[in-house]
Amino acid sequence: MKPPNPANRPGGDEIKDEVLYSETFRIVGNDFEHGGEVATRVKAILKQLGFPTDTIRRLSIANFEAEMNVIMYADEGTLELAVLPNAVRVTVSDRGHGIPDIEWAMQEGHSTATPEMRARGFGAGLGLPNIRRNSDEFNIESTVGVGTILRYVVCANVTAGS
Amino acid sequence: MPYRTHAIVTDKEKCVGCVTCSMACPTKAIRVRGNLAQADEELCIDCGTCMEVCRYDAMRPRTSSPADLKKFKHTVALPSLTLYAQFGKEFHPGQVLHALRRLGFDETYDISWMCEMVMGATDAYLSESTGPWPKISVTCPALVRLVQIRYPDLIPHLVPIETPRELAAKLRRRRVAAERGLDPAEIGMFFITPCTAIIHSIVAPVGLDASHLDGAFSIAELYGPLLKSMKEDAGSDPVDSVSVRGLRWAMAGGEISGMRNANSMTVRGLHDVIYVFDRIEAGTFQSVDFIEAYICPDGCVSGGLTVAGRYTAQRNLQEAYPLLGDQATVKEEKVRSLLREHFFDFEAEIRARPVRPLARDLREAIALKREKDALMERLPRKDCAACGAPDCETLADDIVRGKVQLSDCVFVRLEALEKERSAKQGGDHD
Repeated sequence: MKPPNPANRPGGDEIKDEVLYSETFRIVGNDFEHGGEVATRVKAILKQLGFPTDTIRRLSIANFEAEMNVIMYADEGTLELAVLPNAVRVTVSDRGHGIPDIEWAMQEGHSTATPEMRARGFGAGLGLPNIRRNSDEFNIESTVGVGTILRYVVCANVTAGS
Repeated sequence: MPYRTHAIVTDKEKCVGCVTCSMACPTKAIRVRGNLAQADEELCIDCGTCMEVCRYDAMRPRTSSPADLKKFKHTVALPSLTLYAQFGKEFHPGQVLHALRRLGFDETYDISWMCEMVMGATDAYLSESTGPWPKISVTCPALVRLVQIRYPDLIPHLVPIETPRELAAKLRRRRVAAERGLDPAEIGMFFITPCTAIIHSIVAPVGLDASHLDGAFSIAELYGPLLKSMKEDAGSDPVDSVSVRGLRWAMAGGEISGMRNANSMTVRGLHDVIYVFDRIEAGTFQSVDFIEAYICPDGCVSGGLTVAGRYTAQRNLQEAYPLLGDQATVKEEKVRSLLREHFFDFEAEIRARPVRPLARDLREAIALKREKDALMERLPRKDCAACGAPDCETLADDIVRGKVQLSDCVFVRLEALEKERSAKQGGDHD
């Protein structure tokens, strides 16, 4: 829904859509106990592959928010990590209620979190805006009663960064 | 020569090559090769866990020796606050300082008031800082190393205020040099340390080009001689500068207890540090202003080079407060003027030391990652550490980095032997 912002990209490079490595992680709705584990595992992989710390930081923030969104609002979902030659693309798809008004949900401070979720420190309405802020490309599609597909890309010039 | 800087050495005579330390090491730095445990210099944070778990007393701290004192014209002992906490209420901090002098130091210098000063300086820093939040204390040198290696993104969160021990040494050296007309290099500043991480911070400082300290003796090695001396001579040195507020710094929670900013948190022990720091990295805890965090479970009183257990030590400290009187020893004016002089500032930048990726080139790193995943399928996942690496995943990592071979795994070797045997037996039947 938001056009990619080429200004964010290092050197304005075109993102090459060749998937060099991919891995899919399962996320279970309401599983607060394991909340954040997928984001931590993805971070460990990106470190081994030598991504610059700034890229890893932005992805970690986005992945954590996206993972918690599935845990809080969906029945189940997956996070697919795709390593591209000069970027990382993450696709988070879930089966659940979906988002009725994406425009509304994308604004800071807008949240449908329950009091229990708020008590856990979530529901400040910063999740989706935070993911968009930390990514170079951001796309969200949602069907009420079916689920949500969230896709974001963070650019990285691996050889230049290492 | 980074090898020489680490604070823990393996005693080749005593190490039997068991894998207890390797399995306990929080950064997976230790490998056992040829019956000897050796730490990877890049990964070791000098936390002292290996020393604590070793049953053969084979891990030794690299402390100063009495001969080192002779290299200086004037020597100063700066005891960690944890030293006072080793002795019950029958021994007053003034007696401890007196006994330290009897052991051969020319003078002692209490750092508790400097701890109080740093609390004030941290408050001032927090009130002016614009983030990123939360800010993190640099008191625990093992924690700072962990941030450099595992959380390089959190370096901007570290409070750029030098530790009380370094500031006290800097100040005292300057004064002694002026008072006695000595060259600063002729004065030896020795810390009496509760842990190995501080020893390393003296040899390889972070945030400083060179430490203001010249060496360290461990509390454990001085404990016996001090006790003996205090029993022989009940003399006591003046303690009017000892700050009770500062003393609390020896315990987890003590640093924030003396600060005005109460929007803070204490994180105790490595396990909890990793839990919380993973989340700080993911952007949580931004509403907290300040975090004091210790690799040891109760802060410095639980350091690996202490004698009194951490529970006894905390009780001893609490008993010492009324003996000293809870007076504030630091004037806010003094803190302000030193702040203006940039007295508290870090002298050097803290550099990231992230762990090496599998390869520099992305495609190559991915190929090695796949190779590693395939190896994991072949390894037993028993994490027995018999190969010398702490677990199967670390062995797989070492293999793809070309350091060791798959045949180092006893299970893989056993499997190969069995295959060979059954092939032979099959041949016999034909």
